[in-house]
Amino acid sequence: MIQRPQSVYRILFYVATGFFLVIALFPIYWLTILALTPSEQITNLGLLPNGFNPGAFIRVFELVPFHLYMLNSILLATMATIIVLLVGSLAGYAFGRFDFPGRTVILLGVLVISYFPSVTFFIPLFQLFTGNVSVLGVSSPELFNTAGAVSLPLSALTLPLAIYFLATFYRQIPDGLEDAARVEGSTRIGALFKVIMPLSAPGVATIAVVTFIITYNEFFFSYLMVEGMANQWAPIVHGLFRFQNARHVFYNLIAAASIIGVIPMAILVAVAQNKIVSGLTSGALKE
Amino acid sequence: MSTTNRAIWRRLYDKPLSAILNRIERLNDVQFAYLLLLPSVLLLGTMALWPLLATFEMSLHADDLFAAGGIGQFVGFKQYMGILSGQADDLLPRPFFDLNQPFTSALTVTLLFTVIAVAIETVLGFGQALILNKSFRGRRWVRVALIFPWAVPIVIQGMIFLLMFQPSIGFAVEPLQQLGVISSAPLSDSASVLFIVIIADVWKESAFMALLILAGLQSIDRDLYKVGDVVGASKWQQFKTITFPLVLPAVLVALLFRTIAAMKVYGQVETISNCNTLPTMSCLVVSTFNMGRYASAATIAFITAAIIGVVLSVYIVQFARMDRGGL
Repeated sequence: MIQRPQSVYRILFYVATGFFLVIALFPIYWLTILALTPSEQITNLGLLPNGFNPGAFIRVFELVPFHLYMLNSILLATMATIIVLLVGSLAGYAFGRFDFPGRTVILLGVLVISYFPSVTFFIPLFQLFTGNVSVLGVSSPELFNTAGAVSLPLSALTLPLAIYFLATFYRQIPDGLEDAARVEGSTRIGALFKVIMPLSAPGVATIAVVTFIITYNEFFFSYLMVEGMANQWAPIVHGLFRFQNARHVFYNLIAAASIIGVIPMAILVAVAQNKIVSGLTSGALKE
Repeated sequence: MSTTNRAIWRRLYDKPLSAILNRIERLNDVQFAYLLLLPSVLLLGTMALWPLLATFEMSLHADDLFAAGGIGQFVGFKQYMGILSGQADDLLPRPFFDLNQPFTSALTVTLLFTVIAVAIETVLGFGQALILNKSFRGRRWVRVALIFPWAVPIVIQGMIFLLMFQPSIGFAVEPLQQLGVISSAPLSDSASVLFIVIIADVWKESAFMALLILAGLQSIDRDLYKVGDVVGASKWQQFKTITFPLVLPAVLVALLFRTIAAMKVYGQVETISNCNTLPTMSCLVVSTFNMGRYASAATIAFITAAIIGVVLSVYIVQFARMDRGGL
């Protein structure tokens, strides 16, 4: 028999915690080593840097306009987040506080749409954005290589989560607050923005953080809906790919650019971890 | 009638905003709710529902590389038959389903990836959740560190593992080659790429699993463990009789979400290797589309959706059984 099971559990706990921490953070350490090692000394690298070349973090912006790709990514994610917040909070408010014919059917429809993979939307959207769809003889606007081609599909992709999350959030606000505001002479929309929105600020902030992370990280539409030039709204997906070409692959620059690209996400996770946890879990476990 | 109309028009012209607000004020609750839903319906309608229906319509046609839009005659479900039976394999970049080449046919590759990755993620996620469920000093920062991989962009996740398994650079290559796990050219060999993509997915997504399971753990009544202590149950017995059965529903929800997401895998493959080496279902849609075979690509996209639907319904049946208390 073990003499002191409590201390055994404690040791086991620390070992497991250390194991998970190393797994989670090691890749960032590995990227740092690669980025700091001069490119001619990068072969047969061990687990320590081979030389010290912080210049890679500057070279990244010289060889490829990586700062522009970063800016595009942040702008695209911001646009999608704003669209989702505006459109989603209106719908969330309707689902959370009103009963109307077709409510369940529409809510179920939103859920069903969110289960379809991106590939089932891709081909018509590609044709739509390249001006190959015409309605009554008017061909669709050419959004390919513009912000809309990425941010609109991404908004639609994340909207269902926002609607579900905000609907449950609005439902928890006590009844009668809008009535009180409207007795005071506020309009219906005024009541929504002056009373309900401030009360639901924590929920709205949660959805903002989660939507921003999901859209900044997205690959499918970010890759396929733009050609890849920095001045045509291409996000970091394309920026990173440009460090590999037919003649040469700049491994140290890929590592440096990856570290730079991940910084906004690291900051968000550190600052808003509680929001991320509640956004992901309540979205999933409410059913 | 015409005077009121004119008055409304003038008001619209003078103060359009207040006119609109007035209109909204006069709506009944049902009309107001529909008005609030309108932007969502427009966005989801144009960006999701219409493309979905258009893709389905495309899938009922034949390919025509020379027609405008790349779509040929209406052929009903013939495309589906051709792709599922393997008759269309010669026309596709990779077969959809072929047991003779499990690492280069879309369905087998996707299922292998999904089952292995999600199984490992469940085990690791459970472990992480058990740790995060304890209170200890520095828990906040441990949680930040464990969530962090989930927030890493897919393309950067791919690049990390591309670099790790790049021969001559990655430290992991030589030892794994000696063990025979990966081949001498790990980034261009299908089985090795499958292995690497699974490792990459486990690294990024275990945290998501952990968060959902943690939410389940936190809903368990702590008094149950006190009872366990009183009757002298060991930690393992407490885990078996209290923790596991009570957290099972949350685990199933987490499994459902991860399974569906894993079956859509695309970006990691495109970054680490390419869609020809590891043709997952989403990959095959894109590469078939790139060949100009729009109708076939649409068909594969819908078969993908149908397979995900089948998996989804298996989970839903399981939930229904649990609700009836069958467990």
